[in-house]
Formats: sequence, structure tokens, C-alpha cells
Amino acid sequence: MAAVETPPPAQKSSPYSVLVVGAMLLVLASASYIVVPDFLAKILGRLGGLLPLLVPALVVGAIPKNRSWGVRLTMGIIAAALALFVQRMWPGATTAEVDPADVPEESHTILSWLIGLPFLGAIAVLFLPRQAPRTLKAFTLGVMIVSLLASIPLLRVTMGRDFHFVQDVVWIERFGIHYKVALDGISLWLVMLTVFIMPIAAYVSFGSVDKRIKDWCFSLLVLQGAMIGALVAMDLFLFYVFWELMLIPMYVMIGVWGGANRIKAAIKFFLYTMAGSMLMLVAIFYLAYTYSRASGGELSFDYFELQRLVLPHHVQMWLWAAFALSFFIKVPMFPLHTWLPDAHTEAPTAGSIILAAVMLKMGTYGYLRFCMGLFPEACGWSSASLGGVAVLGGIIYGALCAWKQDDVKRLVAYSSVAHLGYVMLGIFAATPSSLEGSVLQMVNHGISTGALFLLVGAIYDRRHTRMLDEFGGLAKVMPVYATLFIIVAMSSVGLPGTNGFVGEFMIITGTFVSNRLGHVNGIQAVGAAIGVVLAALYMLTAVQKMFFGKLTNPENKKLKDLNSREIIAVLPLIGMIFIIGLFPSIFLEPISGAVARVHDDYSNRIEQNPPPKFYEGPIKLQARRPEAPKKAQAPADPAPAPETAPAAEGH
Amino acid sequence: MLNVLTTLFPAEEFTLLALVLGMPLLGAIVNGLFGQRLGKQAVKTMALSAMGIAFLGAALTFLVLDREASHHPGHHVKLSWQAWQWMHASGTRDTTIPIELKFSVDALSGVMMLVITGVGFLIHLYASAYMEKDPAYWRFFAYLNLFVFSMLVLVLGDNLPVLFVGWEGVGLCSYLLIGFWYQHAPNAQAGKKAFIANRVGDFGLLVAMFLLVQYTGALDWNGIEAGSGSLVNQADQMQVHLWPIGGGQFQGFLSFLQPKNPLMITGATAVGLMLFLGCTGKSAQIPLYVWLPDAMAGPTPVSALIHAATMVTAGIYLVCRLSFVFVLSPFTMAVIACTGAATALFAATIALVQNDLKKVLAYSTVSQLGYMFLGVGVGAFTAGFFHVLTHAFFKACLFLGAGSVIHAMHARIHDDVKSQDMRYMGGLRKYMPYTFWTFGAATLAIIGFPLTSGFFSKDEILFKAFVNHPVNAAAAHMPAKAAAQLWQQPTWLGPVVWGMGLAAAVLTAFYMSRAFIMTFFGEFKGWTIGKAPAGAHDHHQDAHAHGDDDGDHHHEEDLKTPGPAPHESPWQMTVPLMVLATLSLAGGFLNPGLFASFFKDGKPPMEHWLEPVFEEAEKAIQVLPNAEAAHHKEYPLTFAAFAAFAVGSFVAYQFYIAKKGAPAKDMAEKAPGLYKLLLDKWRVDELYDAVIWNGTDALADTAVSVDQSFIDAIIARLTALVVAALGTVLRVFQNGVVHVYAGAMALGIVVIGWFVVVPRADVVVSHSASNADYVLDAAPGMGYGYRWTPEAGGKPQDEKFSPASTQLKLHLDADKTQVVKLEVQNAFGLTATKEITVKGPVTEKPEKPEKLGQVDLPSVNVGKN
Repeated sequence: MAAVETPPPAQKSSPYSVLVVGAMLLVLASASYIVVPDFLAKILGRLGGLLPLLVPALVVGAIPKNRSWGVRLTMGIIAAALALFVQRMWPGATTAEVDPADVPEESHTILSWLIGLPFLGAIAVLFLPRQAPRTLKAFTLGVMIVSLLASIPLLRVTMGRDFHFVQDVVWIERFGIHYKVALDGISLWLVMLTVFIMPIAAYVSFGSVDKRIKDWCFSLLVLQGAMIGALVAMDLFLFYVFWELMLIPMYVMIGVWGGANRIKAAIKFFLYTMAGSMLMLVAIFYLAYTYSRASGGELSFDYFELQRLVLPHHVQMWLWAAFALSFFIKVPMFPLHTWLPDAHTEAPTAGSIILAAVMLKMGTYGYLRFCMGLFPEACGWSSASLGGVAVLGGIIYGALCAWKQDDVKRLVAYSSVAHLGYVMLGIFAATPSSLEGSVLQMVNHGISTGALFLLVGAIYDRRHTRMLDEFGGLAKVMPVYATLFIIVAMSSVGLPGTNGFVGEFMIITGTFVSNRLGHVNGIQAVGAAIGVVLAALYMLTAVQKMFFGKLTNPENKKLKDLNSREIIAVLPLIGMIFIIGLFPSIFLEPISGAVARVHDDYSNRIEQNPPPKFYEGPIKLQARRPEAPKKAQAPADPAPAPETAPAAEGH
Repeated sequence: MLNVLTTLFPAEEFTLLALVLGMPLLGAIVNGLFGQRLGKQAVKTMALSAMGIAFLGAALTFLVLDREASHHPGHHVKLSWQAWQWMHASGTRDTTIPIELKFSVDALSGVMMLVITGVGFLIHLYASAYMEKDPAYWRFFAYLNLFVFSMLVLVLGDNLPVLFVGWEGVGLCSYLLIGFWYQHAPNAQAGKKAFIANRVGDFGLLVAMFLLVQYTGALDWNGIEAGSGSLVNQADQMQVHLWPIGGGQFQGFLSFLQPKNPLMITGATAVGLMLFLGCTGKSAQIPLYVWLPDAMAGPTPVSALIHAATMVTAGIYLVCRLSFVFVLSPFTMAVIACTGAATALFAATIALVQNDLKKVLAYSTVSQLGYMFLGVGVGAFTAGFFHVLTHAFFKACLFLGAGSVIHAMHARIHDDVKSQDMRYMGGLRKYMPYTFWTFGAATLAIIGFPLTSGFFSKDEILFKAFVNHPVNAAAAHMPAKAAAQLWQQPTWLGPVVWGMGLAAAVLTAFYMSRAFIMTFFGEFKGWTIGKAPAGAHDHHQDAHAHGDDDGDHHHEEDLKTPGPAPHESPWQMTVPLMVLATLSLAGGFLNPGLFASFFKDGKPPMEHWLEPVFEEAEKAIQVLPNAEAAHHKEYPLTFAAFAAFAVGSFVAYQFYIAKKGAPAKDMAEKAPGLYKLLLDKWRVDELYDAVIWNGTDALADTAVSVDQSFIDAIIARLTALVVAALGTVLRVFQNGVVHVYAGAMALGIVVIGWFVVVPRADVVVSHSASNADYVLDAAPGMGYGYRWTPEAGGKPQDEKFSPASTQLKLHLDADKTQVVKLEVQNAFGLTATKEITVKGPVTEKPEKPEKLGQVDLPSVNVGKN
């Protein structure tokens, strides 16, 4: 998208002739199509099979000559992997061939491997020599890539409405605490996003982090394990453990490798998050205690068991508030968002990428999974007002603040507030489309904002400033950088064809037809649509200030364009921007079943006890759902009794 | 041949569209990725062959379509091709609406497709020479091909979201191409302005999509048409409530805001207005037209292709495409017609005094787009759309001609503004004959010279504006009383917009003649023509090298030194001009409404061709006073249009040829205020800056300061402050002085001692549900003895305080109350007393909690399982 001002090469005959040959082939192919219609169809069918080869060939060909073959190979592999991903995940691509009998049984340990691998890697890092940074980096990256590969089986399961890969081990029997992990369509893409973005963040950070490499690698790996753990934990105690564990490496990353005000930002980040999670811990304990009262003395932290509790409204409200506060801080929702710009600005590039891409999603995911799952009536009660907060305080306010920032990173941070406003709005609206859109938008935001932080980090490494006024005219000296930045900015703006549009469109249409937002659903959807205009405003302003106009600042005249490391890191993200934008059904199909489940549960509960007459009776337990994963037995109990669902069920 | 095509490409699986769409995309990808290495020749070949093949494909498609149409007369024939399932949305009551990546071509989009690829090809050819010297040649053609692809997606999309892909795609390309020479800050600024103005329009389109999802439960053309009935539902809950928003109720202290009758509009009006907001953005109508004149900062072929021939007509295409929705709301139709007429007139006044050739053409485009909206707004869809077609021919020709002139001027005047200034031109007729004749032909067309294309299309619009009257079709299906409540357009509206259109036609004739005369007649004023003195630099070296370094081509030449005469452009530039000029002159005969009776069925080809598309919509259009009388008005009205042309161009002739521009100067001097106001474009930009821009700016500033000094201050800093203050207070006691500690200890002992010494009496009442027995428990304490008095005022149970009697059992009949007294004595002999009232069971039926079918908690069996 930007000019390279090198004088055009002298006319070459060879590419020209290649083109002519290509055109002739095309004419020939069209002619043969007309004569033998099947012929081309067959060829095209074959070509479809060759797609994973053709795409990398194109990508390798597009790389200018001055890059090494190692770079080409890496990029080719990445492109091939993405092409293969699209091909294999295409809805209906595999179902026809697979015999139901052949479907391998789901592994029950795979989630534990995904959690455990980074932790094992982290321990191993402790035993590696501090003096060998290259080994440390390679090892860390290796562990992450192995995790990425190990997550492939997750994609090979038809998700549907259920939970998969359940593993349930009794952990502390006395308190009913289990190690229980499971995955459904909602957490699937977030886990995939985590394992996908971590190697990218790590790889790009290895170019800029230059002190305490060993500690850095350790933090990264612990962070990855904790994040995956938090996403798949189905025991509230376990969830809390991972939730808090996640905090520490990020705190350290901001505090040690951050910018000038890193200590203040790190403490602010820590205290904000901690304040919320303390309340959540209390609520978790109270919930477990209530369960024990209802079930006759047995404590449980199991999500599926706790989901059976029907609490009177006033109790629910307090518990919901404790959980929601914790999640809203993490999202962050207005007015609890002020830690985010500080944390993002001071965090090292990789920290910002991970923070934006995955950690913020913990808030939205947590609200969707735990608040809506455990306290549906309280969620329903509050959603209209909170939807307003998401629109005014998130989408519009966040965008306006973003527009006025001088620091690119702060700008992107505020744009996160706006984008997550969409996600929260979709969750509050709670229609199938808006929920699917929200889950997809979580992934989208991870990719677009991750890429933006990556690119901002690249310019920061060169100029050691992020002030917009310092730049201008960069398109001339850094054409590749400008091109990629504009593509990512367009995805962030939500241009159709990129990922941002699909998520926003589904969320806003879903909001418009929602009946969970009172009579304000229409105006909230309109407000969200205004955010689309504001997004263009702040993104294009930033793009213009950075790349267009005259190159006046002498310090910018000698800037180098992106290096191979940065291009390799950002390429998969760019690929995903278009893959999600053009083929969203690949992603929506696994989500839809789980979303339908969440939506049905939620609607049923709300319609049973509609506002304003909420449920105020005694605490009760609903029947166990047939599809909920079974509870693990204490090892002492050899013969499990057959499950006896309570008799009274029909209503 | 056509037989082969129809068997190869069945109507439901018309893969030829993939070729039409795919070629420009391929061109964009190849040029974008490899263009820099391929060299100019290859880039040119790629771009041109992509466009050429796309045009051939479009032509074949058109032939197939024509054949299908002739096989099914009267049917709305459609050829469609679905790429893949894109995504889905949920409608009301959780229905799922699939959104496919589907393309279709019918009579309407077929014509658009031909224009885009055909005119697009010509402009590509033109640009291959025009941009010859630009170092970013490859980038230009990558963008241009991408634009054509997006535009094709826009017109071929079979549903609104796919159209929206193209809609935003053309916006993006326009943004990139306006800012093509991005090193000049104003260009990048203009690009941004265009994108954001368009985004405001896109906001309207988005909202319209959501409304359509809600009302019709579909987003594809057929589905919207099928479900459009619910858009005119007059029931309260089916209307869009504007105030109170969403149909709520203001209560309490806000109740003064509650209106007597809630302000409601039908779904059709809401959808129509929102769609039209989108159109005003893309098609540069009031109030969002401001970006288009600035967009002329882009290279001239871009102005011709995007900002005259294709992209800006997308709004009219959308109105035509969804004509059946728009006619459901006469109010929306009136808004469209009025906006169109107002824009036509308003932009024409600005064009009167502009000196920049491209600016004149830009305002003329805005004005002509106004005509098109005027046409579709009065329900003359065919006429409005026909003007799109003819305008594409003559305006593209005008812009390319202007480009040719600028190309020549640029040889020595390197300043972008000056090289486009008509005051430096003049007399170019001699030096650039091809450009002169083609520009002249296109000028004749736009000013409505009889029998040219512009004459027929504009005449038809004005005629229809006078006689057409869109009515509320819903009235026919309603009881007469309810129907009388419906809003109908006043009958004077048609003549009024006609009058505005006619006035604009006079102005058009004037300013276009003026531009033509100033450019091509009189004396050349650019520089002295003569033999160039030795050493004058070779102008071919840096013509159009806008993108080059640091703008060193901006050194001004001394224009007094003689230089070579302005030169005619190369064939790549003149051939497109000639083709377009021919079409401008002759294209009108595709739809000469005046000569309708010469054709079969009394319908000219264009009208016949588009009839199935607009059949549904035109049912709602009445002709006033009746068809017969309206027909008789055609000749007088045509004469009026002719008169407008004659007056405008005669005045221009008088001003600028006969009197060499003196009257114009006089008038400017007589009314300097008005002249300045027109020259400054009515200062609308300044108004927007002051109101909207500054308003948003102030809002954002407020948001930032609130964020910093209020939210962060309260939540983060105030909390920290409170904690710090507490710490400060507590620190006072931790001062290390022993007697302070001793004093605190003594104080503590006293407090604890007081607590121990003073007795407190307390009772907990529990009652068993089965009968009316109550148990009263006294709170325990150190060394306490208890004495109960079951009925206060009566005798105590026991005279002595007994440590053992901590309980009192009581039986109370229904609805009885009893006051119980408890006395407590501790080891120090101090006593305390407490009286409590115990109520017997209430005979009312206890309110049972609603049973939900679940088991109440005592009976749930939650064992291990």
C-alpha cells in the first residue's frame, strides 16, 4: 500500500513473458472448459488438493530477493499450515469421509498436556544455563510450538453442544476440590488463540528483550500454562488458582521488562485485578458452602454441580456482583479500565500482545461462562443497564479517548476498551448471533490488537518513542511496515472481508433483535454502530500521522523496514485476519453448539423467573443435566453407583 | 454459441461471474505483490488484460441474460453464483438467517457491470499513459484493479452484507487512491475525509441492515422483497419508536419527557431513511457531499473512474436495487427527491465560480448525482438509472479530457493547483484537437444539447419529476379511515422539485459552457509559446512524478520564457476519449423517452430491459393528473428543458466569448460578498468544522480529561489516598514510646473489663413447624444465672437465678401473643433484663414459594454417584 521510491527496475522481459504464458494458459483453460466442461472442474478439484502447496509457493514468490532462504522456508511453512487449516476445517470437508466408527476416542489427558507442557518447560528452563540465551530462546519457542502442535487434536472433534476432553481427578477430597478440565466450543478458540499467539509473542520478543532472558522465558511459559488452565478449568477452585497464577508472571513482565513507569503500572495492574479476584474468591467459597447446605453436607466446587443451584435473587445478586466485578476489571469495562492504558503502555511488546490477546479475554470469557452460567437471573436483571455501559462507556467513550491519545500504544489500549465493549454488549444481548459474534470477536480482537501491538513494538524498538508527533511520512522509508499496519488497522476498523467486520456485524445484528435488553436494544445497537464510525476516525488519524505526509523528522529518515523476524511473526496474524474475515463459518461452526447450550440454559432460567418477580424462595438444586460430564469419584469408592437423577424433573 | 454458454453456465450456477469478479482481483494481487519487480510493461499488461477479460466476461453474461430475458418475457431474470456460505445472523425469535457469499446478475446489475468493466477498461488504458512517469505505477494499478473488483462485488452481491463488502471496499480503494500521492499532506487529509464521511453513511447502511433483519428476516434481495410486507405494518409495536426511545415510558421525575403520542415511524420509513443516509455518503449528497470535491486530489483517472463514473453512483444503484422498499414510504421518497433537487441546485451554484477545472467537474458531478436522486426519488427509476449510464459516459469523458489538458499543462506548470486552474488555460483548441472535440461532445451532452445522451436522460427525469407522485401503497389495503391518517406527499412537491431541477439545468449549461470556453477558446495564458531557449529542462523528465523525493519538482519555472506549445496526448489517452465522446453523443438513443412511440410497445430499449426490475416498485407511483394528460405535458416540458440549456449556454457565450469575461468580472465586483461566498463553497466545510468536527473534538477532549482527572482519580488515586491516610493515622500510635503503649494497654484492659463485668440478656426464639411450640434460648455468658417470667407483669418462674434454666418452652395458640421477660445475673451480682414478644402461629395460609418442578432442598438426593 505504499510506494517504494527506488527507481523502477529496467524493463525485464522474463516476467513479462511469464505473464503472457500465463494469459495463454488461461485462455487455453477457458477454451477447454467450454469444450469439455468436466475437464476444468477436475483440474480445479485437483488444484484444491494442492492448495497447501500453491499458497506457500505464492507467498515464497512474493518475498523480495534480499531475504534469505531460511525466511522463505519459514514463511512457506506458515502459509502452508494456514492453508491446510482452512482446507481441513472447512465445514463439511471431513465429515463425508470419516466413518463414525473410525472416530478416535477423545483423549482425556490432552488438556492436561496443554496445561502441563508449558509448566514442565518452565521447570526445565530453570535448569538451563543463564549464559546461553540462544538455547533458552530456542527451547522456549520449541515448547510453545509443541504445545501448538499438541492442540491440533482439539480441532478434530465435532464440538456440538457438549464438553469434550473431560478429565476429572479428585484433588482435595475433604473440601470437594477436583482437578477438572473440559473444553467446549466457547473455550476451544480461546485455547487455540493462546497456543497460537504465544509463540508469536515469544518469537518477536526475543528480538527486543535483552536482559534476564532466562527469567523472561520462565515467565512466558508459566503464563501460557496458567492461561490455558484458566480457560479449561471446570472446577471453580482450580479456576481461581489459575486465575491468580496468571497474574504473577504478567506482573513480573511489566515490572521487570517494562518502560520507564513500569513499577507504578505493574502495581496498578496487580492491585486492580487482585481487588476483584478477592471478592470472587469469597463468592466461590460461599457458593460451595451453599451447595453443601443444599446437597446435604457435601462441598463441591464443580462448575456443573454449582450450576444446578437456584439461589434466591438477593443472594444471587451479591454473588454475581462479586464475580462480575472481578471480570469487569479484567475486561476492562468502564469505569474500571484505567489500569489498562498504563499497563499496556509500560509493558514490553510481548506483554502487551499477550495481555490484549488472551488475558483480557479472561474477563469476557469468565462473564460468559461463570456469571451467565451460575447466576442467570442476576445477569438478566442487569444486562440492559450494563449494555448501556458497554456502549457508552466502552464503545463510544473508549473510541473518543483513543482518538485523543498521542501515544500509539495508549491509542491501541483504548481501542481495546472499545472493542471489548462490543464483546460485552454481545454477551449482554444474549442472542445466538450476538454470543457467537462475541466469542468470535474475542478471537478477532486477540489477532488484530495483538498484531497492532506487535507492529507498534517494532517502531518502538527503532525509535524508542511511540509519540505520534514524532512520526510522519514513514510510508516512504518503511513501505512493508506501512502496508501491514494499514491492513491491521483496517481489520481493527472492521472493514468487511477482514475479521473485525464479521464479529461486529454478528454482535450488532444480534443486539438489535435481542429481548434481553429491555426496550433499549435498538438504540444500543445504533450506538454500537456509531462506534464503527469512530473506529475509522481514530485509526485513520493514527495511520495518517504515522505514515503519510512529508518525512520531516530527521531521525526517521534512516529507519529500517521490518526485519525478517518481525515479518515472520506478523504474517500468521495477517493470514488469520483474512481467513476469519472470509471463512468465518470455520470458526462459527464449533462455537454455535456451545453457544446454543448457553443461550438455552440462560433463557430457560430467565423465563422461569422473569423480572421483576424474581425467584425468592429457598435455595434449591436443579436436576443434573444429562450431558454434564460426570463427577469423578474419590479413589476410595470402588464401585460407583449408577447416577440417580432426582425424580421430579418435568416442568 | 449462446446455447453452449447457457448449458455451461446454468442460471443457478453461473460461474462466469467468478471470472468477471476474479480477473480484477487477480490483477490486484499480482500487481500488488509482484508489481514492483515486474516492471511497468508487465504491470500494464496484467492490469489491462484483467480488465479486458472481465469486460468480455461481462459482455457474455449480458448476452446470456438478454437471451434468458427474451425467453421469459416479463420475468425478473437472474443469474446467480454462490461462492460459499459466509456467516449467519439471528433474527427475531432466534431464527437463523444465513448470509451467503452469493452473487447474482439481473438487468440492473448487468448494465452496471458493463459500465464498470467497459468504462473501467477505457480508463485503465488511459491511465497506462497518464501515469507513465509515476514511480509507483504498480501500486496505482493494483489499487485500481482492486477498486474494480470491489465495485463489481458491490453491484453483483446478492444480499446486503455482500453489497456492503463492495461498498466498504470501494471506500477503501477511494481512500487509498485519493491519498495516492500521500506525501502531500492535503491529499492524505482528503483521503481520510472521504473515508470518514463515507463511514458516516455506512453507519446508516448498517442500521438499515439490522432493521431489515428485524422486520423482513432476510438480507438477500428476494427475501427482503418477500418479507417487505411487515415493513408497513401500522401496529404500534411494529413501528420504530423514536421517542421515547424504543417505546419505553418515562417515569417519576422524568415523566415530563413523556409525550402525549409517542413519535413513531414505520419500518419502511426507518429502513428507507437509513439506506438513504448510506447513499448520501457514497453518492455525495447533502449533507455528506463535502468529501467529493476534496477527493479530486487523487490522480485524474481516479477522479474519472471512481469519483464520476462508478463508485459515486453506487447510492443510486442501491435505491434502484431496493426500489420496492423505498416506495413503501412516500416520506422517504420525498426526502430523496428533495435532497436530490437541493443538491443539484446547490452544487451547481458553487460550480459557477470555481476556477479549478477539476473542481468544476467535481461540483458538476455532485449536481448530476442530485439529478439522479431526484429521478429515483420521484419514482422514475428507469430515468434516474439511465442518467447514471449517460453520466458515466460524458463525465468520464470530461474528466479524462481534463486530465489530458492537465497533462499538457503540467509539462511546464508543475504546481498541482495552478496546472488545473482554468485562468492559465485558454486557446487549447488549436493545440489539442482530439481533446477539444471530445471534451466538446461531452459538454454538449451534459448541458443537454438536443439529441445527445444527457438531453434524453435529464429531460426524462425532469418530466417525471413534474408528473410523478409516489403514494402510500399501504392505503389500498386499509379501511378508509385509517388510510386517511397515512402521510401522503403533497401534490405540489413534484412541480417544486421540477423547478429546482430546471434551475439547476440552466446553471449547468452556464458553468459547463464557461469551463469549456475558458479552457479551449481565447488565447493561451499558461506560458509564452515559442522556441525554448537552450538549457530549459526537458519537461518529459518529471511530468507527473508526484511521488518522487522531497517535491523538488516544485521549483517554479519562469513561465515568461518561451516554451513549446501544449501537446496533444498519446493515443492511449485519446482513444478512450473518442469512444466515450461517441457514447456521450449517441448513448441517449438507448432510452429516448421523447420518441417512445417509435419503439415496440411504446417502450424504448432501456425501459423495456429494466421493466421487470422496477415493475413492483412502479405500482406505487401515480401519474398526475392522469397518464393521458401527463403524456400531453411531455412536449411542453421538453421545451422547458431545452430552454434551460439554451439560456444557460447563451449567457455563457455572451459572457465569455462575446464579451471576453467582462460581465462576469463586473458581477463579481458588484456583489463581492456573494461571489466570495460561492467561491468558498458557501463555507459549508467551515460550518462542519465548527459544529461537527469541533463538537466531536470537544467531546473527545472531555472524555480524556474525565478519564484522567475523574475516573482514574476516584477509583485509583482516591482509594490509594484513603489507604495512605489510614496508614498515617495508625502510624501515630506506633511511635515506639513505651508509655503511650502502656496507656493504650490500660485503656484496652478497662474496655475488656467493662465488657466482662456488665451482663447482657438476649433471647433466641425458635419454633417447630409441626405445632405451636416455641423454645426460647437465653444467650450464654460467664457465670450467668437466669430467671424467666413467662408473662411479663406476672410472677417469675423461679425466685432464684439458676445457671441451668437457659431454656423456656412455651405453647402458644394461634393468633395469640405473649410477652416474656428474662433476667440475667452475673457473678458480680449485676443484673440485666430483656422483654420479648412471642407471636403465635398466624392462621392465614402461608405463602408457598412457587414450585418449579424441582425438588425442594431437604428431599434432594445428592449422594455420591
